[in-house]
Amino acid sequence: MIVSIDWLKDYVDFEDVPLEELAEQLTLAGLECELKVSGISIPEGVVVGKVLERSAHPNADKLSICTVDVGEDKPLNIVCGAPNVDKGQTVPVAVIGAQLAPDFIIKKSKLRGVESCGMICAEDELGLGGDHAGIMVLPDDYKAGSPFSDYFRSFKVLDIDVTPNRPDVMSHWGVVREISALTGNPVKFKKITLKEDGPDVNTLVKVSVDAPEGCPRYTARLIQDVKVGPSPQWLRDRVEAVGLRSINNVVDAANYVLMETGHPLHTFDFDKLNGHEIKVRFAEDKEKFTTLDHKDRELNSSTLMICDADHPVAIAGIMGGLDSEVEDDTKNILIESAYFEPSVIRKASKKEQLSTDASKRYERGTDPNETLQYAQDRLAEMICDLAGGILAKGMIDVYPQPIGKHNVPLRYEYVKRVTGIDIPAETCKRTMKALGFRIVKDAPASMTVEVPSFRPDVEREIDLVEEVLRVGYMDKIPSMKKLTMSVSEEYDEFHPFITDVRSFFVGLGFCEALNNSMVNRATAEAGIWGYDPLTVLNPLSKEMDTLRTDVSQSLLGSLKSNSLKKRPTIKLFELGNVIQKNTHVETNAEEHYNMALVACAPMWQNSWLAKDGSADFFYLKGILTSFLGRLNFSFRLKENTNRPEFDILYDVMVRKQVVGKIGQYKMDHFEKLQLEHPVAIMELELGKLYNWYNPKKHYKPIPQFPSISRDISVVLDRETKVNPLMNEIHQNGGKYLVDLSVYDLYIDDKKLGDNKKALSFRLEFRSDEKTLTEDEISGVMDKIFKQLINKYGAQLR
Amino acid sequence: MSIKSTIDDLQRQFDEACENASDLISLEEIKNKYLGRKGKVAGLFSLMGEIPPETRKEVGQQLNVLKNQLTDHLQTKLNELTGKDEKKHRMDYSLPGYPVVAGSRHPLTQAIDDMLSIFKRLGFDIAYGPEVETDWFNFESLNFPPNHPARDMQDTFYVEGGGILRTHTSPVQTRYMTTHEPPVRIVAPGRVYRNEAISARSYCLFNQIEGLYIDTDITFADLKGIIELFCRMYYGKDVKIRFRTSYFPFTEPSAEVDVSCILCGGKGCRVCKNTGWLEILGCGMVDPNVLKAVEYDTEKYTGYAFGLGVERMVMMRLGINDIRLLYENDMAFLRQF
Repeated sequence: MIVSIDWLKDYVDFEDVPLEELAEQLTLAGLECELKVSGISIPEGVVVGKVLERSAHPNADKLSICTVDVGEDKPLNIVCGAPNVDKGQTVPVAVIGAQLAPDFIIKKSKLRGVESCGMICAEDELGLGGDHAGIMVLPDDYKAGSPFSDYFRSFKVLDIDVTPNRPDVMSHWGVVREISALTGNPVKFKKITLKEDGPDVNTLVKVSVDAPEGCPRYTARLIQDVKVGPSPQWLRDRVEAVGLRSINNVVDAANYVLMETGHPLHTFDFDKLNGHEIKVRFAEDKEKFTTLDHKDRELNSSTLMICDADHPVAIAGIMGGLDSEVEDDTKNILIESAYFEPSVIRKASKKEQLSTDASKRYERGTDPNETLQYAQDRLAEMICDLAGGILAKGMIDVYPQPIGKHNVPLRYEYVKRVTGIDIPAETCKRTMKALGFRIVKDAPASMTVEVPSFRPDVEREIDLVEEVLRVGYMDKIPSMKKLTMSVSEEYDEFHPFITDVRSFFVGLGFCEALNNSMVNRATAEAGIWGYDPLTVLNPLSKEMDTLRTDVSQSLLGSLKSNSLKKRPTIKLFELGNVIQKNTHVETNAEEHYNMALVACAPMWQNSWLAKDGSADFFYLKGILTSFLGRLNFSFRLKENTNRPEFDILYDVMVRKQVVGKIGQYKMDHFEKLQLEHPVAIMELELGKLYNWYNPKKHYKPIPQFPSISRDISVVLDRETKVNPLMNEIHQNGGKYLVDLSVYDLYIDDKKLGDNKKALSFRLEFRSDEKTLTEDEISGVMDKIFKQLINKYGAQLR
Repeated sequence: MSIKSTIDDLQRQFDEACENASDLISLEEIKNKYLGRKGKVAGLFSLMGEIPPETRKEVGQQLNVLKNQLTDHLQTKLNELTGKDEKKHRMDYSLPGYPVVAGSRHPLTQAIDDMLSIFKRLGFDIAYGPEVETDWFNFESLNFPPNHPARDMQDTFYVEGGGILRTHTSPVQTRYMTTHEPPVRIVAPGRVYRNEAISARSYCLFNQIEGLYIDTDITFADLKGIIELFCRMYYGKDVKIRFRTSYFPFTEPSAEVDVSCILCGGKGCRVCKNTGWLEILGCGMVDPNVLKAVEYDTEKYTGYAFGLGVERMVMMRLGINDIRLLYENDMAFLRQF
């Protein structure tokens, strides 16, 4: 909303307040605003010049040398490249020092050997339009040397960011009331004098409202024999200052009253209303209508229409129709000033995707009483003044159930209870009065005010507290220095948990990523959990029309973008929600809090110490083992063969439930990326693990006795899986076996034979009570040997 | 030859060779010859299969003892040699070490942690809510009536099945209050979504931290106190703070909070658009309609709520001028934090 400073001054004095300070005070009071200049601003240093002489440049075909009078003792020499420059022209000249753009300051210069002391300007160089074909040629009566800006009008304005609860400040009046409340200066609103010389309006017009639920009040006045014509300069200035285009005296007057009072009005060419009748009704489904913006629309029954005897003439409260517009030859004008139900206007405005100055105000709530009436009368008065015409006697007013005003009490003790300070009763009263509230009861501890009907946002005592607080007290409330508080007895442990998880992976060299939760359908369907995805009904694009079902696919996206940028080491992790469609949940969305990890990287990058090896599946498997071990979970891996894009994929099982996935993709799955390392991923349902996680730790006595280690080397069939063997060793290792590792894998067809492999295990034995002896271990070792030989066909090496 | 004497021979040979070794290279050769994967000791182990089962146990024990003894001897000799030959064999320690590269935390989650730890100091518990919300929690319970223009303040994504992507973390307020009696003192971090075109200045999702305190005798002055404390703890003691009246359906009175521009200190610059102020959060006293929605006694309880946008604050702090960088996950970006 743009309001003109001059216009505001018609109604309230604020000469004593600097404009910057006024803008600051309004901002603190809830009208976030910025002081601006509207209209055209011409840079300083641009003056009017007369071209006295023009001659060809000796060294350049396209340049000419001009002698230009800019009102000083000596004319300037200016080299000009425009084809249209000529002797005798009046032109805009940027003299030395003029700044036309942040990095464009006019300096004395030499162009092909000839000195130039300024620039003759084209339209685009002054920000006046796109024309760069030649210099601007001005009327001859422009005076040489006068600032070019003198020939343009500019206006000081406030650009206000109006919050949706304040339709009243979408007008000069609203802002005037705020200024009055802030400065203490009284409001001076004008009285209207109407000369109703015409016949009784009821004999000329018929108005009926078939949809009072959408249109609680409809008023109409009629002016006959008007002369539509251009607006006088003062009116043009006003409408242009607030950013509107001047059209004609009638339309400008209607816009003027709208901007002044905030109440939208509509003017019809009365002779184009069939039957000289107005009917307000809801549209029929699929009814056709062409609005002023030349758009053909198909309506439905939720849109309220203003109609004549036969057909619609306007979408109520939003936009008029092309067929009843006031034009230059219009003689008789019907003025509509009405109140429409906000939600009705909002629905129609949304449906038609049409937001206008009128609809913005109606959908937020206009004043059905005084302002509506005032705006009607004011427009009638202005049209009579500006366009002549005779005003019919009286006003048609269809208002079957007047909307009453309500009273709201304000206890001063309550003001203190909410704000924490004593705002004196006198101040409260003064503020309420200045804002247009009427004090109907004035008691020592409280007052009761009647809420003006232009303030639909004020309904309750708390709303009044805000009014007295925001007018001048927002920055006066002290901030409590001593905290008194009730401390919650609950203590969140989830956030410390995930912080710890994050640190764990950062320590391992992974960078934390964050990805969009909205992905394309294919990505959601490729999710590693196989969840049924949920669709976003109004997505920004097809690429984001589904909610992600896993974090891994997001990380693969990050992997791709990083590999395209040739980042050598890609190790990423992310924590976040994924969504599974579940019709048993109210929103159909079951959320899982997951953590995923992706690696496509060398184990050690570019080092003389270690050249080979990738951070591959076994790397992640080690991480998984360490991570779950740290959380005190034992787990089992179960091979998952449903995903052909993987070389290997396992379900991570904890407590017999799948809580994660770990695997490595086939290299050709990322063929196009030409990756140097395999892509390994892991994803865990972190939320589930957290629920099971027992953070309580118990101290275990530190081992007092030394351990004994034993190695076993065996030759096995190549196909034999190691994991069962290790389980076997564990099962037979007795109570002293505390650690088992695989320290060598060896394959050599010549030495071991075809399809054989050699494995070396190291077993660590320890007792908490004594130093173990050979005898105690050898029995166990025998048992293990026997099992490996008998069950797995192992040969000892 | 019995196994026993083979073992003894081997041990003797080894000891002799070891004693005669004069440098690290010959010691390494000895190590490979005896203890390597294809060395003599391994060779003995591989004969185990041929040994009658009744003595296998004993032999196994002897071999293990042998292996341990040789290893110990080798180590002793190694220590001796490295001490003696220090000058000749000194490693070039100017070579770089293992390329151990630490990972990094995303700047957003780091900032969220920083902020939450401040709020924890100030006695707030942490609460959570779902990202796919019901209309009731996201809007109606927070005093956004259906078909109200205030809903235009937050362009909404609708999800199949009737849910919406929450447009703010404020639904955690009413979710928490429906299951807890006052006093309530929580902060709620989380992702929120807005159906707005993606540009350098706005993304379709961002992170918020919501704050809520409901109790008896809570005033706007308490709110101001907590916000000031937070700003000073986060931005430093010199920061200036300004409260501006604003509008949110779920608070009344409502305010927006500006801090003095962290780049120019309030003198005016491009970041603060020459105002000297940066808007960082919205807040206010919880609207009685919200308390009614969760069946709290509005005469007994008052409270305040606030919500801040993490991305904006992080971008200002780190000098990031394009919000999309935060969700692109370029390793070259992430490594910086």
